[in-house]
Parts: sequence; structure tokens; C-alpha cells
Amino acid sequence: MAFLEWRKFNFFDLKANVDDGRIASLYKECDITVATSGNNQAVLGDSCGQIHIITRFWQVTTFRAYEFKVSLAKQLRSSPLLVTVGDDDVGINPLIKVWNTTRFDKNGIPYCCRVSRAIPGVNPVAVTTLCVHEELQLMAIGFMDGSLNLYRGEITRDRGSKQKVFRVASCAITGLAFQALGPAVFLFVATESSVYMYNITHKDKEHKISLDNMGCAKNCSVLAVYENLFMIGRNNAIYCYTIDGKGPCYAVDGEKVLLEWFRNYLVIVSTTNRPITQAVAGSSSQPTSQGHLITVLDIHNKFIVFSSVMEKVRTVFSEWGSFYIIDYNNNVYHLDEKDLQSKLALLFKKNLYDLAIRIAKSQQYDSYGLVDIYRQYGDHLYAKGGYEAAIEQYIKTIGRLEPSYVIRKFLDSQHIEYLTTYLQALHKQGQAPEDHTTLLLNCYTKLNNTDSLKEFILTKDNDLDFDVEIAIKVCRYGSPEEALMLAKKHAKHDWYIKIQIEDHEKYIEALQYISRLDFQNAENFMKKYGNILIEKEPHESTQFLKRLCTNYRPVDKTDGILNGITELNQNADAEDYIHLFLNNSERLVEFLEYLISEGCVLSSPVYDTLIEHYLHVWSALEAGPEKAKYTQKILKLLQTLEVKYDKPQALVVCHMHGFSEGIFYLYEEQKLYPQILRYHVSKGDESAVLACCRRFGHQEPSLWVQALWSCVRESNSPLIDILPEILTVIAKERLLSPQQVIEAIGIAKSDVTLGHIRSYITNELQKEHDIIENNTELIDKYQTDIEKLKQQVETLKNGVVVIQGSRCAACHHQLELPSLHFLCQHSFHHHCFQSFAENENECPACLPENKKLIELLKSREYNKDLHETFHSQLEKASDGFSLAAEYFGRSVFNKITVITDDETEKILSRAKKYDGYNQYNVLKAGNRIEESAKSNYGPSAEARIRLSENIRNTPKIISTSEGKMRLQEHQYSQSLEANITKYGTRGSSSKKSESDSQVIGKNPFEDDYDDSKNPFTDDEFDETNPFSDQYDKNLNPFEP
Amino acid sequence: MSYAYLFKYIIIGDTGVGKSCLLLQFTDKRFQPVHDLTIGVEFGARMITIDGKQIKLQIWDTAGQEAFRSITRSYYRGAAGALLVYDITRRETFNHLTTWLEDARQHSNSNMVIMLIGNKSDLESRREVKKEEGEAFAREHGLVFMETSAKTAANVEEAFINTAKEIYEKIQEGVFDINNEANGIKIGPQHSPTNPSLPGAGGQGSSQGGSCC
Ligand SMILES: Nc1nc2c(ncn2[C@@H]2O[C@H](COP(=O)(O)OP(=O)(O)O)[C@@H](O)[C@H]2O)c(=O)[nH]1
Ligand SMILES: [Mg+2]
Repeated sequence: MAFLEWRKFNFFDLKANVDDGRIASLYKECDITVATSGNNQAVLGDSCGQIHIITRFWQVTTFRAYEFKVSLAKQLRSSPLLVTVGDDDVGINPLIKVWNTTRFDKNGIPYCCRVSRAIPGVNPVAVTTLCVHEELQLMAIGFMDGSLNLYRGEITRDRGSKQKVFRVASCAITGLAFQALGPAVFLFVATESSVYMYNITHKDKEHKISLDNMGCAKNCSVLAVYENLFMIGRNNAIYCYTIDGKGPCYAVDGEKVLLEWFRNYLVIVSTTNRPITQAVAGSSSQPTSQGHLITVLDIHNKFIVFSSVMEKVRTVFSEWGSFYIIDYNNNVYHLDEKDLQSKLALLFKKNLYDLAIRIAKSQQYDSYGLVDIYRQYGDHLYAKGGYEAAIEQYIKTIGRLEPSYVIRKFLDSQHIEYLTTYLQALHKQGQAPEDHTTLLLNCYTKLNNTDSLKEFILTKDNDLDFDVEIAIKVCRYGSPEEALMLAKKHAKHDWYIKIQIEDHEKYIEALQYISRLDFQNAENFMKKYGNILIEKEPHESTQFLKRLCTNYRPVDKTDGILNGITELNQNADAEDYIHLFLNNSERLVEFLEYLISEGCVLSSPVYDTLIEHYLHVWSALEAGPEKAKYTQKILKLLQTLEVKYDKPQALVVCHMHGFSEGIFYLYEEQKLYPQILRYHVSKGDESAVLACCRRFGHQEPSLWVQALWSCVRESNSPLIDILPEILTVIAKERLLSPQQVIEAIGIAKSDVTLGHIRSYITNELQKEHDIIENNTELIDKYQTDIEKLKQQVETLKNGVVVIQGSRCAACHHQLELPSLHFLCQHSFHHHCFQSFAENENECPACLPENKKLIELLKSREYNKDLHETFHSQLEKASDGFSLAAEYFGRSVFNKITVITDDETEKILSRAKKYDGYNQYNVLKAGNRIEESAKSNYGPSAEARIRLSENIRNTPKIISTSEGKMRLQEHQYSQSLEANITKYGTRGSSSKKSESDSQVIGKNPFEDDYDDSKNPFTDDEFDETNPFSDQYDKNLNPFEP
Repeated sequence: MSYAYLFKYIIIGDTGVGKSCLLLQFTDKRFQPVHDLTIGVEFGARMITIDGKQIKLQIWDTAGQEAFRSITRSYYRGAAGALLVYDITRRETFNHLTTWLEDARQHSNSNMVIMLIGNKSDLESRREVKKEEGEAFAREHGLVFMETSAKTAANVEEAFINTAKEIYEKIQEGVFDINNEANGIKIGPQHSPTNPSLPGAGGQGSSQGGSCC
């Protein structure tokens, strides 16, 4: 029955004569009757009653245990005790003896602890089996007649030991084995025709259980360590029993002679007809036809690991980790197990990898070794084309074997399925780097295996470990659905949106997705993808943006109460999204209007944009009610106070779109009247120009001047007609000197006729005339005054002064002696004088006046050192002009400085810092009229322009300082005049001089708009403009 | 492991029908495509729960060959349940059922529960025996029928557990003599009336016995 045989391997070597024949030399006259081993020694009993104790090195200790023969012996495994049963007489007289093999008496015989008779009843019966429990408390002996003696109690002591007899069967007991299972103890009993089990846990409550109704021969039963099986050997099979009854059965043919358990193996000695074929190494025996078959069975792996026919076996024992066989000729054989490596090599040779693995595992082979076997197995299967099975093996190598080893083998497109399996396993074990994830996903897509892909993707949380981003990236091309799913599942919002937008062009979905995100994310993604969304889905996107910028809440979380937390409403900054509407003004307008209607506070750029787009829409509209509506809207927006738009920009935009309503509004609002004027001028609308001048002229007189320029600059200017009116105003308001007007008209390109200006010139000439007359009168008066003063001086010098004063100038009482009289006609009581006077030589009444005069004179002397001080003061002064004026008042600038036109140019280029004064220079230059026209609107206008240019000059300071300057200047001119007229016209009050200067227009600072003329030429001091130099260090006027 | 009952099963049927695979699937929950031939009787055990009771199933998986009949026959007695297996892809295994059934009936106790199993249901494409035929055979002989696959594990649990349920019912009905172990039923150690619960470990118990008398 070859096909029913066990698989066979040769995992053992049988070595003969391992003892150098020492055992054989012991048995010249008698035979071995029993062999037992344990506690590091083997024990042989013989038919003459001798016991041989054998050490590992085959040293033998022999002693006589019985007079007649040794029948049974049991050396305990882990105790020096040796239990023997034998006869001291011829006949049946079995005695139990217990020896301590470590204690010897003086004759060299081990100490015998106990001697008891082994009789199951009244008559002695031959013993068949002996069994001793390793715990030394139980002992059982079986007899020929089927009875069984069970001894309880310390086996070393006769006394106290209790013996109980069981009648097991009517035939001889052939095998006994104790089995302890927790607290329970069982005794297996085999007879020649049956198997029983006794539960002997409790004394006197022993319980007999029949396990089988067939038995075995003597020596043919064994208790296997493997799963606690009690085995009996029968001709057709080995039957096994557990405490629960029948167990497995191993069909092994042959009449069994002996069973023995060794390590994990069952050693079976059976009779055989086969001749001794195998030449045993070192065997000295003659081959005989009658031998025994040794079979070593690996019960666990279910195959025969050794099988050989040899000389008839007398006995076997296992000790020192090896198995020994003694044949009928007392030759000792060693059954030597091969090492694992050789075994595996054997198996590999036969390509029995699965077996190799099983064996390696059962022998606790280390995991590296195992992995190597798996790999070899896999390679083998692969070579045979068993890819699926190969992969199965390779999977077991995961964690030890470099995955690329496997992957490379299966990269071929036909093998993708297997590769997939492997990669899946890799992921399951968390051993997959990104590349492998990519590979796996690619495999899925290549295989079109969306189900697996889905499964793979969705099980991520449970046991698969992979990089989601990579997975999305890979899926994105092969199976976008999955990529989406993945992105959604793992909240990879960016990917989700990206795929929806870029791959699927499903903008609405993307929007919906975004709208479900929390504020932060929604905001970010809207910023990121807003552009395309607005472009593709303007309506939806706008709606969403509206929500985002007003009162954002994720769509799913609309029910804030349900969450228990009333989330803070968040809204995004509209400014961030405006650029999205770049090409879609209508949407932007809609968006922003909504926001405004929601009462959002928007930043000025947002308003700017809104205005811009309003205008965009506006300009695109045909004239009609719609346009008018927009006009109103825009104006309303411009006029709303809270709307903080950037006005200059709004202006620019209005200009761009020609939205005049807005322009006007803005100009007016910002007091940019000249601009308005210019606008009208450019439109050639004379009445509007006039209206504008009239309306704003009182705030911005220069408008008129501008109007004048506009009139004359262009040839064929339609504004020519209004020239007279302009001139009238200019004259009336003294906005320009006649000379300037004439000059302006002179260079004009337009056809101004004399008719236009006749009345003006006449008027002006008349006025000039009046002034001259006035002045002449004044000169006369002054000359008379001077004359008078001269006379006075003369009188004081040479004449007699009659002191007529009768009252004291101090106390106004009648003068009494002693009194003091001064030439100035002041008289004092002596005591009054003393209490008032600071100086004996001076009149205390005149002293303050005189002092002033003297100081003034002194200060005039001072000139030389002034220049340094002046500069340093000027540097520090916040109001340089008044400082300069003060110095001027002190007649500091008495030197004449000639200023050429070239220098003026230079000054021009350097003078930027001093905007307010530039105009002189500019105007003086004369040939730069265009430019001057620009700056003509006065410092504040220019300041505004500069402001809009964002250059941080401080034009405002200048404009205010100018005011101050004027004020102070008045004062100076007053004091100057006062000083000068002191002696002559004491009565001429400051009021008068002020009115003078106003009427006559002598105040040089009123002449801001005067061109070409040095405003000071008219003055008594007759100087060239001292101010032009003040700010030019190169032209330092103070240098001699 | 403690149990309320121990049921002994035997699996019979022609060789190669998948008996060993069924057992392996039931005990180890795995399938081994290249299974060694069963030489003799293999053995497996598993705990199941029926009606809240722990029941230990001890299963003998027999070799199907005629040569081992004498060995396997000795296992019928002592089995409370039998799985009679044929292979749905090989008609002759179905044809041999009668022989198997006769053998079983002859050597087992009369109350043995026999479950007819058509195995390899996963190989639908190679089916030779219709399910109806299996059902008809079962009906005719008073067996429970089921188609299983040891490979996919389909119905494997059910086959073993349903058999156990039927045995359990029979016990409840008093059909089985639970004290006769030859019936293939054993009451668990704690539940056994013949096994009084006493304190003390086995070894000590025996030593006490020795010293007190
Ligand atoms: N497809 C498939 N094959 C099976 C199944 N059960 C067993 N086999 C195969 O059938 C063969 C014999 O199985 P085995 O269990 O040894 O049969 P036994 O002789 O009855 O123990 C083995 O190669 C198994 O792989 C099954 O349910 N489906
Ligand atoms: Mg089998």
C-alpha cells in the first residue's frame, strides 16, 4: 500500500558500537531483561539479578539487586531513585526494591530504601509492568493475571504506603502510565485485549473507564508527551487515547515489538520480513535475515523521520538527549538526530518547502531563518509558475525581506494581480512606504479593480496604513471617483476641490463642498480657487462669497443650537475676494452691494473697487433710465459719509470713465476748484466757467487768475467773451497786478483785442494814478516831518531850551524844589526822580522809548555776526518766513544782491522744499509760464496735488505758516513804520499804517501772485528780493 | 478547559472528498490546498456554545480508503455524530454513500446523528451531483443535508454546529444515555455526578491517601 504510506525522510543517523562494546562485555552469561534511564544515567537489569548503572561515558557500576533475576526497573527521570522488581528465589516471588543511586554502602551497593512484596492477592503472580509517578507518591505494578497494584504514599517507605489491588481484566496487564492533569490524576492501563483508564485522583474513589476493547503486547504502549496521548501499538496501527477517550490513530503496519517516546518522536520497533539492507555504520554484526524495523514517527508533522531494518532489538533507552538501541547481541546503537540545517537542506533538495517550514517552526527556528525558507519556497514556486502560491510565501517574508526583491519579480504586467496581493499585505502590515502605495494603487487602476481599490481606500482607518496624499495623487488619474472619495474621507479638502475643479470641472460640487467646510478652510479655499469658480459659476460663487463675507456658517452646521455652541459668526474680508471679480463687474457690484446692504464695514480699497466697477458698468450702459439709476447710485455712494473710499483714486476712475457728475462732486468735495474750472475750460463751457469762478471765487480767488489764463492761452478760446468779467474781478480783488495781467495777455496766443481789456487798463491806470498821488502826498508830509525834526535837533544843539514844566512828570504834582529838568521838557521832583530813574543822565519818562531806539540802532550795527545765527535759527525755526521777516525788519539785508535768471533756474530746481516761496522764483523766471500756471493755484492746491502723490512734504504747515507770516508781517511793518515815523508823525497810528499797506498793496506778502516784480522794490528800502536767496546756500546773501 | 458536554464526531466518506479540510477549516479556520493523505484517524477539537452551554466537539477524521476500514470502523462506536461527506464534483463519492451509511449504521449506536455533506460547493462549474440529489438522498435516509466548502468556509461552522444542536436536542429529549460513554457523549468533569468535587491537588491527594491509611 505504498500510496497509503507516510512520507519518509531520513532525519537520523544510526551509529553502531557507540560504547566500544562495553555493554556487550557485561553480558557474557546472561541477558538484559530491562533497560531504564533517567537522572543522567542508564540502568540495565539482567537475568542474573544484577543491575548496571551506566554513565554518559559508558562507565558501568554493577551491583547485585536480586538473587535470581531483575524483571522490571524504573529509574526516575529527575530523582536518583531507582525502583526495581525482581526475584530473589527461583519461582515467583516478586519483590519491589527502591534504591537511592547516589548513596552507596561500603560494598559499593546503592542504598536500598525499601523492600516490599509485589503480590496482587494471596498467591504470587508474575509481574508484567511497573510504573512510578515522577512525584514519588504513586506507583503501580501490573501482573500477568490482569490485576493491578496501586501504591499510594512515599515510594521510598514501605510503612505508610497503601496498596490497592484492582482486577482490571482477565489477561495480562501490558502497559501502565500515570497522567496528571491539574489536580486530577489518571492511570492508563493497557492489557493484551483492552485499554482502560482509572481516575485515581481520590483515594478509594477510583473510577474505571473503558477506552477500547483491544489491547497490545508488553512494551507496546507509551505515554507521549505530545498532547498527552497514551499510545498502544497494534499490528495495523498505533492507537491513541486521551482522558476523554479514543484519540487519533496512526496506521503503521507491522507487529509491534516496542514503543518508546523520544523528544517529539514515537519510536516504533516492529517485526519485519525485510532483510537488513541498511549497512549500519560501524556494525560488526553479521547480516541476518530476521531483523527488526525501526520506525521513528514525527507525530506532529505526520511523517516518518527514520526507518531502517536492523538486528533484532533487545531494548532501547533514551538518555543524555539521545536515543540508544541495544540489539540481541548487546551492541549499542545511537540514533543520532541530524541538525536542523541538514534536515532543511534535505527538504529543500526535494523542494518540500512547506514541510521545511513546518519543521522549522516546530523546532523554534528563528524568524530570520524562517523568512529565508519562505523566500526560497516563494522562489521555487515562482520558478514553477505558481505565482499565487509564491506570493503567499513572499507575504510571509514581509518585515524581514526587502519588498523590492518580490516586487521586481512581479512587476511584469501579467503578474500584477499577484503583485497587488503582495502590496496589499504589505500595507496591512504597515510596512509600505509611499512608493508602494503608489504602486498598489496603480495596480488597482491597471487591473480596473475599482472594488478593491475602494475597499483599500475605505479600510484605511482600520488596518491599512498608507499615505493618503499619495493615494489621492495616484487615483486622481486612474480612478478619479476613488480619489474624490479618499479626499473626502480624509478631509483632504484641497485635493477634493482641486480634483473637482481641475479634473471634473464640477464647479458647483466644489462650491458645495467648500460651503460645508469650516470658516477657516472655506476662506482659504475660496481664496485659492475663487478665480476659477467665479469664472465658471459666477452666480453660485457670488452667492457663496456673500455668505462667506457676511455671516458664515458651514452648511451642515446651520443648526448652531444643536451643537450646543453658538459659534461666533465669522466673516471674511471682502477685500480678499475682490480680485476674483476682475472680469465680472456686474457680479462684483452685486456682491459688494449686498455686503453694503448687510451693513458690513468695508475697507476703502473695497469701496474703491466698487466705485470703479460701478463706473465700469455705468459706462457700458446705454444712456437711459438704467444709466441714470447708476449715476444716482454712484453719486450716492460717493456722498455717503461712512464710505471711506480713496478720493484721489475715485477721481481718477471717474475721469477714466468720463463720469462728470462724480468728478465734480469729488472736486468740490476736496475743494479742488481749479480742477473744476479746468474741466469746464477744457469743455469750453464759458458760462460754466464763469459760474464756477463765481461760486468758488471767494474761497479760491486764484480761480479767476486761472480763468484768465485759460482765456488767453488758447487761440480761439471761446472764453474770450468772459474776459472782461474776469478782469473786473481780478482788478477788484487785486488778484494780479496790472502788469501781470498785461503781460499775460501779451503772451497770449488768443486773439484778445484791446476792446476786451480797455476798461480794465483804464481802471488800473486810474488806480495807479491815485496811488502815486497818495504817495507823493505822503512823501511831502514825511519831508516836512523830517524838516521839523532837524529843526528840533538844531534847537537842542544850539538853542535855548526853556523849561516850562511846572509839574512833575512822575507824580504830576506841582514841582517843588529840589527838582530836575531834562531837555525833553520833563521835570521831576528830586525824590520822584530818584525813585524812578535808573540812570542819572536820562529821563525816566523817555527812557523806554530811547532804549528801543538805541537797541534798534545797535542791532543794525550787529549785522556782521548775524549771518551765522540767522542760518542756524532758520534751520530750527518752524516758521522760517517770519524769522526771515524779523531779520528783514532789522535791516539785515541791506546789501544788494543781484540775481540773474540762470541762478533763478538753479534755485528753482533746488527749491522744491520750500513750495510756498517757489512761486516767486518760478514766476520770476518768466519763461516758465506753463509750470507756473500749474502751481498757480496756490500752495494749498499744490499741497493737495502732492498729497495725492503721496509725497510727504508738509505743505499744510506751509499754508498755515503763510497765514501767520502775514500776520506777523503786518506787525513788523507796523513797528517798522512806527519806528521810522516816530519823530515825525507820532500820531500816525499802527491802524493807519495797516490800512495804508492794505490799500496801497504795499505789503510784500500780499503779492504771492504777483509775477516778475520784486514786491519790495516799492518799499523804502529798495532791495531786490531778499527771500529768493534764503534757501540757497550757494547764493548766500550774507557773505560779504 | 471545562465543558458541559463533550460530543464525539466522526467524519466519513471517500478519500479526497475534503474531510480533513473540513476539519481543519472548523478547528483552525484555514484551508490547506495540499493536504496530506489521512493515514489512520486524525483528531481535532473545538469548543462551541449551544444554548449557553460550552460544548467540546472532539472530531475523528478518518481515512477514506478501504484499506483503513478496519481501523476506522472501531471509531463509529463512541461517536455521537457523523458527518458523511461526498464531493459534489465526483459522482462516485456520492454513489458510495449507501455503503458508508450501511457501515455507519451497522457499527455505530443507533442514535448517532448523521449529517450528509456535499463538499466543495465552491467548485460549482465542476459540479456532478445536484444539490437536489443530495437533498433527496438525505430525505430518504433520514439525514440532515448541507452543502459546504472547506475552501471558502461556507456552511462549515453550520454543519458542525447544527449536528451538535441536534445531538443536544436529543439529550434534552432523553434519547441519549449520557452516562454511557460509548454513545459519544460525555458530561464535563465539573458536571459529572461520578466526580465529586473535592479540594486538594492530585499529587497531594494521592499522598494524603497514602499517609492516612
Ligand atoms: N475547491 C475545493 N477543494 C477542496 C475542498 N475541500 C477539500 N478540497 C481539496 O480536495 C483535496 C482532498 O482534501 P482532503 O481534505 O485531503 O480530503 P479527505 O481525503 O477527505 O481528507 C485536497 O486537495 C483539497 O485541496 C473544497 O471545499 N473546495
Ligand atoms: Mg483526509
